[in-house]
Amino acid sequence: MKRNVKMLALILAVTMCIGLFLTACSTGTPAASTPPAPADNSGDTATTAPANDTTKADDAANAPASDVEASDVKVINLWSFTDEVPGMVEAFKAKYNPSYEIKTTIIATDNGGYTSALDAALAGGGADAPDIFVTEGAFMKKYAASDYSIPLKDLGIDIAAETKAAGIAQYTIDAASDENGVVKGLGYQATGGAFIYRRSVAKEYLGSDDPATVYAAIKDWDTYLETARMIKEKSGGKAVIVSGLGDVWHPMENSRSGQWIQNGKLVLDENIMKYFELSKALKQEGLMNGTTDWQEAWFADIAGTGAADILGFYGPAWFINYVIKSNCGGSAPGEGTYGDWGVCEPTVPFYWGGSWLMANKDTKAKKEVADFIRWVTLSTEADSGMANWVKSGDTVASSVIMAGAGEYGKLDVCGGQNVFDAFIPANQAVDVSMMGPYDETINNLFREEVAAYAEGSKDLETAIQDFKDQVANVIDVDIS
Amino acid sequence: MLQTSSTAAAPVRRRGISYAKYGYLFCLPFVVAFAIFSLYPIIYTASISFSDLKGMGTAQYNYLPDLFGNFKSLLGNNVFLTSLQTTVILWIFNFIPQIGLALILTAWFTNTTLKVRAQGAFKILLFLPNIITAGTIAVLFYSFFGYPVGPINTILQQLKIIDAPIEFLRSPAVSRGIISFIQFWMWYGNTMIVLVAGVMGINPTLFEAAAIDGADNVQTFFKITLPCLRTILLYTLVTSMIGGLQMFDIPKLFNDGKPNNMTQTVSVYIFKQAFTGSFQYNRAAAASMIMFVIIAVLAAMLFYIMRDRDEALANKAKKLAKKAEKGGAKK
Repeated sequence: MKRNVKMLALILAVTMCIGLFLTACSTGTPAASTPPAPADNSGDTATTAPANDTTKADDAANAPASDVEASDVKVINLWSFTDEVPGMVEAFKAKYNPSYEIKTTIIATDNGGYTSALDAALAGGGADAPDIFVTEGAFMKKYAASDYSIPLKDLGIDIAAETKAAGIAQYTIDAASDENGVVKGLGYQATGGAFIYRRSVAKEYLGSDDPATVYAAIKDWDTYLETARMIKEKSGGKAVIVSGLGDVWHPMENSRSGQWIQNGKLVLDENIMKYFELSKALKQEGLMNGTTDWQEAWFADIAGTGAADILGFYGPAWFINYVIKSNCGGSAPGEGTYGDWGVCEPTVPFYWGGSWLMANKDTKAKKEVADFIRWVTLSTEADSGMANWVKSGDTVASSVIMAGAGEYGKLDVCGGQNVFDAFIPANQAVDVSMMGPYDETINNLFREEVAAYAEGSKDLETAIQDFKDQVANVIDVDIS
Repeated sequence: MLQTSSTAAAPVRRRGISYAKYGYLFCLPFVVAFAIFSLYPIIYTASISFSDLKGMGTAQYNYLPDLFGNFKSLLGNNVFLTSLQTTVILWIFNFIPQIGLALILTAWFTNTTLKVRAQGAFKILLFLPNIITAGTIAVLFYSFFGYPVGPINTILQQLKIIDAPIEFLRSPAVSRGIISFIQFWMWYGNTMIVLVAGVMGINPTLFEAAAIDGADNVQTFFKITLPCLRTILLYTLVTSMIGGLQMFDIPKLFNDGKPNNMTQTVSVYIFKQAFTGSFQYNRAAAASMIMFVIIAVLAAMLFYIMRDRDEALANKAKKLAKKAEKGGAKK
């Protein structure tokens, strides 16, 4: 009996030690990768400290360094939050057959997991620190302003010349610049948004599913509201214009005429005030299905099985390929809403999400890193990163590639329409000068107050005052 | 190591082996770890609560000219005071049902006349919610009450209790009720087990004496069980209070303090101050210090209220006697 107890105690002690070892030894192994995570504003908590007023990338500030030589580094670390860029590594290796190995680490962005791990790895330094890391629209400004990311000119990349040669969408360059216009990152995706509508609903209530007709019905927010009321009345409640308040938020978010914080003061301009009235009207008059994005009811609306049929969603190209395609309830025309979608110009130009590649300022493999970043985000050759990416039907940052990739834009899920016709001008039209470092926190607080106002539990003055108080509570800003 | 004997004039000391140093050696790892990982951060937090440390990545700070500036601004801050109120409300609505149900179950399980079968199985089942992580349950309940489509809404509509889905999560009362319920549901099993253990420690002759004197179940419970459980109840009360006042994971993962900050507890407020927006570590530290003082005061009050009065009186008498003795000897 004594021996058995001793054996049991020994086994338990050894098990505990093994458990400790396993947790201590694991080095950022790939967590479950998610489809290209859109900038889900409610999840991440990363923001930066210094006030940031984005200026267009200054050519002089981005003159390339001329002394970048090849190094003899054997391993390059690549960190990402999805498997998109790691997936491009194989093609890169096949083409260039490099002497070094590219080690990838994938951590999903849920609950800020990726940013905290990335911060720790960058601060820790050493051989395991990332040489290249991918950032998402939501927290990309933080890393652009941070000292950990190297100005891309220091890698020998001639920003002005190379981006011009590839016709890179200007907003992707501006968005990844720090407050002095020094470019810190380049993106391969262009996520300018359009209005993605259901053809059958448009035909029935707007008269036609032609993009121009649909755009005329949503060309500004007042017309949008009129159309919303018209659809509800005409359909007797069987169709509404939008699924939930979150769906009009993304275009609204970028419609501000300036930053949230200007000269240390919180500014509520008239464009963003429209969101109050629009939300209240949509909610009180029953012009929407009241869903929250990324939840069950919202997906049901994509498949056309929700409470009422929806006219359309605002989204970029990835929205069609990754959200609609997998949730439309079918994979061939006729099944679910497959084939019933169309794309037209949105009410206001906006962008949503996207991935930018940045490099660690302490990287020892500057030329190798530059090669990889160039191949993914700047090269217009036939099998470069972007050229491969556009084949999936997603829009890329290079207009040169987009112009030659017309065939990939014809999507079955949109009834054969060439969606690039809408997305190419959308990408060119995006303006990011109103972005700031505290946007995420302020946007969340703003949406909360608008939700309270829309459901009628607060009046406008209280909602605005509460919003200001909340912002002042968390951020050092003048709210008078 | 043998102790050497002292001088010849003093009485001979007993020879013995002192194991004291081994005691200190065994304590050392914990003390070192505690000092580095707990004590130092606490002192550092207290120190930055008087400073202006904010912003990510900075470690330089200066003490404020008005040392208590952070504390004053916090105590006048509506959001902080609301979060204090919310914390207390959430805790009270969790604790009262929890202790009530735990006491009832304890009474039933330790009642010798009431032959409850399969007690072991019951205790396991009642304790099970405590094993599931709070975060998981919070997220689960969040999706239960989804609007416009969610399990609760669907069931209520199918049972024809409501005809349109209700947006439960935008109602402060419902959200607070859910959080209190989650806390209560997770912890009542644990409390019950502790109380049962406490009752097992009561001398059975007391119960026999009560039975002989003709006390019924209710009288036995209130006059014998509860008073003997005083220490255990104090332990439960103090640990529940400390845990309840620091509640973070459930409100944060349930709806992150929404709607309208009505489910934002002080811990969630501190988190938001320190890790979002301007990263105002100084205000977060000040709020933490305020909570520390509140909890310390409440715990002290509880200990005073629940003290063993007989023991306290005996100690007092002893002290008086000692004083009298000293005073007498001096004369």
